[in-house]
Amino acid sequence: MPQLDVLAERALKAAERLHPEYAEAYVEHSYSQFFPIEQGKFNGGGFSESTGVRIRILKGKRLYTLSTNRPSEAAIASLLDRYRAFAGMDTAFAHAPREKDSYKAEERKSIDDADLLRDMTELDKDLAKMHAVKYRSIYSWKERSRTHFVNSEGSEIRADKPDVGAFIALTIAAGKDTRQRMLQPGGVGGYELMEYTALHKMLTDEVNAIENVLTKGINLSAAALKEAKNVVISPEITGIAVHESVGHPNEADRVFGREAAQAGLSYLTREKLGMKICSPEITLIDNPSIKGTKGFYLYDDEGVRARPKTIIDKGYQNELLTNRAYAHVLHTRSNGSARSDGYANEPLVRMSNTYVEKGVATLDDLLAEAKNGVYMKNFMEWNIDDTRTFSRYQGNVAYSIKNGSLDKPVKNFKLEKDTLEFWNAVKMRSNEFELWGATCGKGEPQQGAPVTMGGPSLLLQFG
Amino acid sequence: MILMGMQETAKQIVKLSLDEGFDEAIASVFDSASTYTKITNSKVDSIIEKHNDAGWLYLVSKKRILLINIEDLEEQSVRAKIKAAKKAISYIKPKDDYFGIAEGPFKYGFSTDADAAIKHVSNDSLSDIAYAAINEAVNNGAVNTAGMLHTYYTRSAMASSRNVAAESQSSNARLSLRSFTDDASFQDVHLSQQLAGLSPMKLGQDTSEMAKSMKETGRIKSGKYDIIFLPSPGGTLVAQVNDFVVMSEIEQGSMFTDKLGEKVASKNVTIYDSGDTREMVGVSPYDAEGYPTQTTPVIEDGVLKNYLHNYTTALKYKTKSTGNAGLINPEPNAMIFRYRKTVKDIDALVAKVDKGVIVTNAWYTRYSNYLTGDFSTMPRDLAIYVENGERKFSIRQGSVKSMIGIRVTDNMIKMLNNIECATKDTVQTTSWDANGTPCIAPSMLVRDSEITAV
Repeated sequence: MPQLDVLAERALKAAERLHPEYAEAYVEHSYSQFFPIEQGKFNGGGFSESTGVRIRILKGKRLYTLSTNRPSEAAIASLLDRYRAFAGMDTAFAHAPREKDSYKAEERKSIDDADLLRDMTELDKDLAKMHAVKYRSIYSWKERSRTHFVNSEGSEIRADKPDVGAFIALTIAAGKDTRQRMLQPGGVGGYELMEYTALHKMLTDEVNAIENVLTKGINLSAAALKEAKNVVISPEITGIAVHESVGHPNEADRVFGREAAQAGLSYLTREKLGMKICSPEITLIDNPSIKGTKGFYLYDDEGVRARPKTIIDKGYQNELLTNRAYAHVLHTRSNGSARSDGYANEPLVRMSNTYVEKGVATLDDLLAEAKNGVYMKNFMEWNIDDTRTFSRYQGNVAYSIKNGSLDKPVKNFKLEKDTLEFWNAVKMRSNEFELWGATCGKGEPQQGAPVTMGGPSLLLQFG
Repeated sequence: MILMGMQETAKQIVKLSLDEGFDEAIASVFDSASTYTKITNSKVDSIIEKHNDAGWLYLVSKKRILLINIEDLEEQSVRAKIKAAKKAISYIKPKDDYFGIAEGPFKYGFSTDADAAIKHVSNDSLSDIAYAAINEAVNNGAVNTAGMLHTYYTRSAMASSRNVAAESQSSNARLSLRSFTDDASFQDVHLSQQLAGLSPMKLGQDTSEMAKSMKETGRIKSGKYDIIFLPSPGGTLVAQVNDFVVMSEIEQGSMFTDKLGEKVASKNVTIYDSGDTREMVGVSPYDAEGYPTQTTPVIEDGVLKNYLHNYTTALKYKTKSTGNAGLINPEPNAMIFRYRKTVKDIDALVAKVDKGVIVTNAWYTRYSNYLTGDFSTMPRDLAIYVENGERKFSIRQGSVKSMIGIRVTDNMIKMLNNIECATKDTVQTTSWDANGTPCIAPSMLVRDSEITAV
């Protein structure tokens, strides 16, 4: 493996020859393996090893990013020789403390020694035995990424992040009726995150729940759907709603228009910061430092120390996710939310692990309070408009609630609401807490950021 | 480098692989450079420049397939990589339905060129192009603009153990701009293989003109509507058909599984997958196996005609490769949409609508079931309500700036059957949601879609 500290220092030195106001170098070495198993067939495998560098400079208040997989000082200097001053907006970075640190994600079971393909093969065999599973695919990977960040302000951060996971796609059938389910187990950490027994149970439960909907589910009438004023949503539905309609609109780059032609805008503007978005029940956090999650990191990709961010405090907008550039715009300090999907792309303002804080009630308490309504367990289809105002989550597994208890499975429930109506309808939180893995798209070129999202079950009561 | 030329390098990597005992090998080497000039709040926000030169090696031993990357093309390093691959491939399990890779040699019907202006473009020139679009839009009444200017240059070569060797170079440029007025926005994109093929001032003029084209705003109710899709939203939506007809998707369950020969669209609809339409950005004379690309009718006169294959899936299903090989699975090329009965322009489509919506941009298309084709998509930017053949107002369902607040829900096969008319003129287009993948499409009228409104 190349000496990342030497490469980073040399890259920074090359960048500083342009005499910028600010320069940084981010060197990454990654080694990954992937294994697709499609409908029981082994469709090859891949081994990839790469080293590259990203340099960012602020020169004449212009932000310029260069990436290359030829990280030698001479190669970088040659590319930087082509740099020309250009017309553009003034950019400045907020002050960030100088950091010198090194960290390694917890890895209780080494991913290097783990036989991922063997375990995924066993899972595939398990799925093949489930008569309701019509189609299945498992794409699994393990990756070790080592990074070294240095900047012209004296910060120096080393990170060692193992990553293991899978993307599992299932089609469940009963008669002519089918439903689909996508699952993304894994995270930043050791092989304990892909423990076979837990995955086997998860898949068994998922298949059984969907098969139950297909065989015993009912379609609610249009009138019944309209009358479903009490809705209990599971931690998974809480999570997707947290991510889409609160997390994204609280990304500072969206609020200030940087994603306007790409991943969209926000219902928030500078003037609306601090507005009431949710019921007082809701305190909503983004926290990168949770071990074993997809969104784990201790320093962001601008070398800023990560910390939990309280996006919503008892219903009110409290804090935008920022990088150093938007922290400067907001006259504050970055809260460490800049992430890239690798050395080749720029860091963007991103979520990490985003969730609603849990309550004290049990799920049964929520169902009892709802009395009659619908319980949504998980989803397949979802989307939201580009201002994050109008979202829909389709109930892949849902049940009617009758007299405070779960009743029949429901096939055709969709929760389609205005954001403020949705979040102000929250009346109770359960004491459960789950985080669900996902991949979030943003930027141009599009970058997929591994994240988690979740919280407790919520009782929503619509007027 | 092992040898001076890229093609010779690819051939040498294949030879080293066969010497090591692999049954088959495909080597691909490339050198690419790209830029991204981001436009935010009517200014150039930043410029990103990316360089990548490396290679991929596809190896087969006893039906075990291994894909590895090669960052260092020095011979000693390549030899070490191949030796490591020999050990690693024993870990992989055989692909039971592997039938080999395409047998050459092949002649290619065309070649692509790279634009020297793209290859040598500088920061200040990129910024000038972006400002040409921005300034025109602002001077024409836009209160804000956002967008992206992207350039890409690559030269590449490949060789395989089946007597295939090829090389090419290509370039493309893409400029997207979203122009805002106080009440509406409109986004469009220009694509070209040459930098000079972009028309930034025209893009600025057209997007700002469309953004301010409707004087009134209004609300609509949930219900059934006819939809007129402009080329970008309509084309990128229909292009998903080609994603679903690659053989690997068909085997894993797609809305087109077991439907070859069946009517899946209006009899006026023909959809091609094309890798050899010379004027489209991103085309290549050959696929990842070196097999010549072609234009394949996927749906012809409404009937599902072909799935998309690489060599192995073609042999498995007793047909011929369609030139869609990726390094593991088949992949779609570009989509071309043709409609038999066309009208002169979008006004003629509007005249056919009693109650409908013109959708100028859409994103976040998601399926509730890929096997049935049920999906929904979110219109963004200008959406115009049409009544009795006239444009009435731009739709605004709430007070949030730039919010449209409607959702289109449909089924892909139902939608393909309900395309009732299209404009004669087609354009090459794409969208951010489509990751820049191009398609050629007209504006099209789809009857009887469901709209829900906030």
